[in-house]
Amino acid sequence: MNYIIGAFKPPCNISISFADGRTRKQVPLKKENGQTALVPLFQSQENIVGEVSIEPIPGKKVEHNGVKIELLGQIELYFDRGNFYDFTSLVRELDVPGEIHDRKTYPFEFSTVEMPYESYNGVNVRLRYILKVTISRNYVSNIVEYQDFLVRNYTPLPSINNSIKMEVGIEDCLHIEFEYSKSKYHLKDVIVGKIYFLLVRIKIKNMELEIRRRESTGSGPNTYVETETLAKFELMDGAPVRGESIPIRLFLSPYELTPTYRNINNKFSVKYYLNLVLVDEEDRRYFKQQEITVYRLQENQ
Amino acid sequence: MVLVLALGDLHIPHRAPDLPAKFKSMLVPGKIQHIISPGNLCIKEVHDYLKSLCPDLHITRGEYDEDARYPETKTLTIGQFKLGLCHGHQVIPWGDLDSLAMLQRQLDVDILVTGHTHQFKAYKHEGGVVINPGSATGAYSSITYDVNPSFVLMDIDGLRVVVYVYELIDGEVKVDKIDFKKTATTH
Amino acid sequence: MLSDGVEDEEKWLAEGIAGFQQNAFCMHRALDSNNLRDALKYSAQMLSELRTSRLSPHKYYELYMRSFDELRRLEMFFKEETKRGCSIVDLYELVQHAGNILPRLYLLCTVGSVYIKSKEAPAKDVLKDLVEMCRGVQHPVRGLFLRSYLSQISRDKLPDIGSEYEGDVGTVMDAVEFVLQNFTEMNKLWVRMQHQGPAREKEKREKERSELRDLVGKNLHVLSQVEGVDLEMYKETVLPRVLEQVVNCKDELAQYYLMDCIIQVFPDEYHLQTLETLLGACPQLQSSVDIKTVLSQLMERLSNYASSSSEVLPEFLQVEAFSKLSGAIGKVIEAQPEMPVVGAISLYVSLLTFTLRVHPDRLDYVDQVLGACVKKLSGKAKAEDSKATKQVVALLSAPLEKYNDIVTALKLTNYPRVMDHLDHVTNKVMAVVIIQSIMKNNTYITTANRVEALFELIKGLIKDMDGTPIEELDEEDFKEEQNSVARLIHMLVNEDHEEMMKIITTVRRHILQGGPKRLPFTIPPLIFSALKLVRGLQGQEGDGVGEEGPVTSKKIFQLLHQTIETLSSVSSPELALRLFLQCAEAANDCDLEPVAYEFFTQAFILYEEEVADSKAQVTAIHLIIGTLQRMTVFGVENRDTLTHKATGYSAKLLKKPDQCRAVYACSHLFWVDEQDGIKDGERVLLCLKRALRIANAAQQMANVMRGSGGPVTLFVEILNKYLYFFEKGNPHITSNIIQGLIELIATEMQSDSSTHDPLADAFLASTMRYIQFQKQKGGLMGEKYEPIKV
Repeated sequence: MNYIIGAFKPPCNISISFADGRTRKQVPLKKENGQTALVPLFQSQENIVGEVSIEPIPGKKVEHNGVKIELLGQIELYFDRGNFYDFTSLVRELDVPGEIHDRKTYPFEFSTVEMPYESYNGVNVRLRYILKVTISRNYVSNIVEYQDFLVRNYTPLPSINNSIKMEVGIEDCLHIEFEYSKSKYHLKDVIVGKIYFLLVRIKIKNMELEIRRRESTGSGPNTYVETETLAKFELMDGAPVRGESIPIRLFLSPYELTPTYRNINNKFSVKYYLNLVLVDEEDRRYFKQQEITVYRLQENQ
Repeated sequence: MVLVLALGDLHIPHRAPDLPAKFKSMLVPGKIQHIISPGNLCIKEVHDYLKSLCPDLHITRGEYDEDARYPETKTLTIGQFKLGLCHGHQVIPWGDLDSLAMLQRQLDVDILVTGHTHQFKAYKHEGGVVINPGSATGAYSSITYDVNPSFVLMDIDGLRVVVYVYELIDGEVKVDKIDFKKTATTH
Repeated sequence: MLSDGVEDEEKWLAEGIAGFQQNAFCMHRALDSNNLRDALKYSAQMLSELRTSRLSPHKYYELYMRSFDELRRLEMFFKEETKRGCSIVDLYELVQHAGNILPRLYLLCTVGSVYIKSKEAPAKDVLKDLVEMCRGVQHPVRGLFLRSYLSQISRDKLPDIGSEYEGDVGTVMDAVEFVLQNFTEMNKLWVRMQHQGPAREKEKREKERSELRDLVGKNLHVLSQVEGVDLEMYKETVLPRVLEQVVNCKDELAQYYLMDCIIQVFPDEYHLQTLETLLGACPQLQSSVDIKTVLSQLMERLSNYASSSSEVLPEFLQVEAFSKLSGAIGKVIEAQPEMPVVGAISLYVSLLTFTLRVHPDRLDYVDQVLGACVKKLSGKAKAEDSKATKQVVALLSAPLEKYNDIVTALKLTNYPRVMDHLDHVTNKVMAVVIIQSIMKNNTYITTANRVEALFELIKGLIKDMDGTPIEELDEEDFKEEQNSVARLIHMLVNEDHEEMMKIITTVRRHILQGGPKRLPFTIPPLIFSALKLVRGLQGQEGDGVGEEGPVTSKKIFQLLHQTIETLSSVSSPELALRLFLQCAEAANDCDLEPVAYEFFTQAFILYEEEVADSKAQVTAIHLIIGTLQRMTVFGVENRDTLTHKATGYSAKLLKKPDQCRAVYACSHLFWVDEQDGIKDGERVLLCLKRALRIANAAQQMANVMRGSGGPVTLFVEILNKYLYFFEKGNPHITSNIIQGLIELIATEMQSDSSTHDPLADAFLASTMRYIQFQKQKGGLMGEKYEPIKV
């Protein structure tokens, strides 16, 4: 056993560290194996600086055809497993071919890296950023090491943020008007609004507000749409009468939302909807869905 | 000790609306053992009222009593005393003591109680007593002017009887007391 | 079926409590370990039990109370959390993450309570947020309890004047606004409750709804406790807003309850100052609302207020309370045309009670109320229903009780008009009540005008009314009624002879309409009333003056004569005879010989023609003799005529003993101690001898018949009469005659041993004892008796 392990064990340890690793914010990332690890957080246009350290196992040397580090932005579609679309790919050569006998460190720097898309881990799609160190070798496979990092991009307060106001109904049965104070919400925002009952001829049991996420991947006939209900929030208990108005106040912070992503690299979109659901005593559901835009608010400096 | 209430000639409602309130408040049930009335109550309501004060009620008939069942005379024995009762309109001349004395002899009683004149009287004579309690309502009388409401309470104790006379004069109740002793000669 | 339902409910409640306790237990553990997240989780789960729809309000309340207690613990925890550095604002947000609305809002209210106490935000803002957020619960029962919870936790945190939560100027308005809003919402939920569930259970639901009413009413109570609600604010804000809700909810149960609540919880002086507004709401209520009770309560309270202190009375006048109430009642009656008469009348009873207590001096008000009542009653059938009648009686009784004096009631022109609307039976009952009031209060009616008015009131007793059903009236009842009228007549008096005469004439006019059944009851008191007047005149007229003038004895006697005559015509001859004799004596006292003679003549006519019964004859004869014996006015001729007749009647009595006794009684007609002119010893002796003859005849008859004893007694009686006249000095009665009589009796007694009579024996014995006594007396009497041997 030891022999076998030893045979496949890479002859060196590679570690990638960031220059501001101690101070940079770390966020949890769910890995493929289900474990969560803390990874550094970046945003677009940042410099990604650090060093790669290669430490051969004592008594061994590493022969190579060159060492390089790549910064990759990849989109992985699960139905098309194995195919990654790199929308960003930057390379820095770290070493010319040769041998490494002792621990050796290589500084690297990617300056003002354009990272337009946020990291995303969806149902059918994943968008990830990685640093990839490759020690090229002859005859044997390359030694590769990855380092994930997360990208989040912040948006300032939108200058235009209209309310959503709409009158809907079923003729002679139910007539309501609802109003959400905004159409764009940041991730820690509160949805505030009101529902006016203009006509009620059905026996309503309760009313809920749902937050739904719609992730669509692919295009054309190969479009996959996944809808998840992230929140079910009861707004009203019992049957209102005509003229009643019911307040809405829904805090978004407890829910794991992402910003709205529109047509990311022509590969996928993530959109959010508020779904107002009225349930009558026979458990019939009447609903009206409205898209909202979710954004990541630029924290005040 | 036995208390005997004697009252008569109320003439309700012919001549008086009711007993004086002051009398009514004095006459409460449970205190009196016998009521004797020479008559002229005149109606059942009054009879019932007296009955409510004391169930042992003895009445003779006055000329205005609606109840024709009252006897003309009545005798009863209370303790050592024999009492006679008669309204008195039958005894002429009315209120005449000698004539009443004759009635007393006839009834052979120690105490004779009569009415009719509306005037309180209590006489002792030849070993007997004649009492007229007057009119309890102070009713109009052709015989007596200015009638004051009055009644009599007899306290019979052994051979002794104390007669209390209650008289309403100008709204005040005056009480008088007359003492009689029966001589040991019995019949 | 029903019992199954109850059992099910018990089961559901048990399940609910079990779930509740399990989560409460977990919550406690979380609290003990300061685990906020778990505390929130389990408290929300615990409160989820309140989401049930299966329990009746009664059972739901049990769960609610448990929640209430648990939430107090949670509140303590929240408070400690803030001390440990947790921001109250964050907590306030955190609890709102709960997905279910009902637990969320209970938690929000609980944190809200801590929030207000922390003073990190103005109380008014937190309260406003809470009351607004509670709109989310529209289920009636759950909403009511939730808002009740809000009301309970906020009671001591209102930004009231003087409260530690009072913010800048004017926040008391916010406090009021908050309570009003919660009240309004609760009332809406409460009203809506009736529409929940199937129609067949409506009755049950209404009952349940009724049980919850105090949850709603509590808000009004809170408002009444707010310091800052002064009269001004009550008038401008509180009352109009509350009334707006009351009127708009259009629900009978709620309207009645809330109106009552308003009246009960707010101070009387506020009611007085806002009467117009309050009363203005009444006609706007649903027509099925029992407004009369509401208004009665209000008037009751106001009258209590009025009697609490004389200082408040000017307020009543200032706000014209009476006219406002009166107006409102009018409008309510108008607005509810289908209101039964009883309702309208009971409103008037209340108004009258109010008036009597607040404005006892305003008879015009009282009369006005009665007038309004007459208006309402007019056009209705008389015998409406017994309840209405009862109310009318109450209406009529109120002034009597208040004034203790019928005289005041007699001034009320509408009083008899109200009485006219009573059915005959009740009318009589009322008349009796009036009479009883007079008797009880010893009220004398002293003018003919008032007597006239009084008889108008009690006419139901005085005469047969038109259309009186010819019912077989209960004899006893009738007697009682008529006796009460008889008693009443004694209360109609005036010292002034002229007025008294008018009174008598008035009374007479009325009672003569009474018919044969009533006259025997009503005439005697009138006769004696008139005789008393005669006696009064006697003192005044002195020596025969007063022959002229409006009131003279002669005129009265004339009236008496005519009045008694009516009696004899209605077959009460014995009574008439007695009354004639009374009049004769009165005329004697007035020295009016012809009048006295006329009365005697009338009495004799009656005796001869009408008195048939032998026993009645005996009594009548004794009365005739007794009266005649006392007459002093007659000259010899008249006297002889009458005496002759009397002795004649005596001898003609049916039974010998009666004859005998009447005849010896007649002896007194010839010998009157007080009258010197009348001492005819011979005729006395003749009478006594005649009596003896009758006694003898009786004795012989008795022997023949072998009948009962008695005649011997007659001899002893006659002996006593002999002794009487012997003592009086009648020269014709001698000791010899007496001696003879005694021997005669002794013989009779011996021969008559078969009919031995112990009573007669005793009588004789006591008579002999008397003779003995007189003999031993000594002096003149002793001398006189000396010759008699016993």
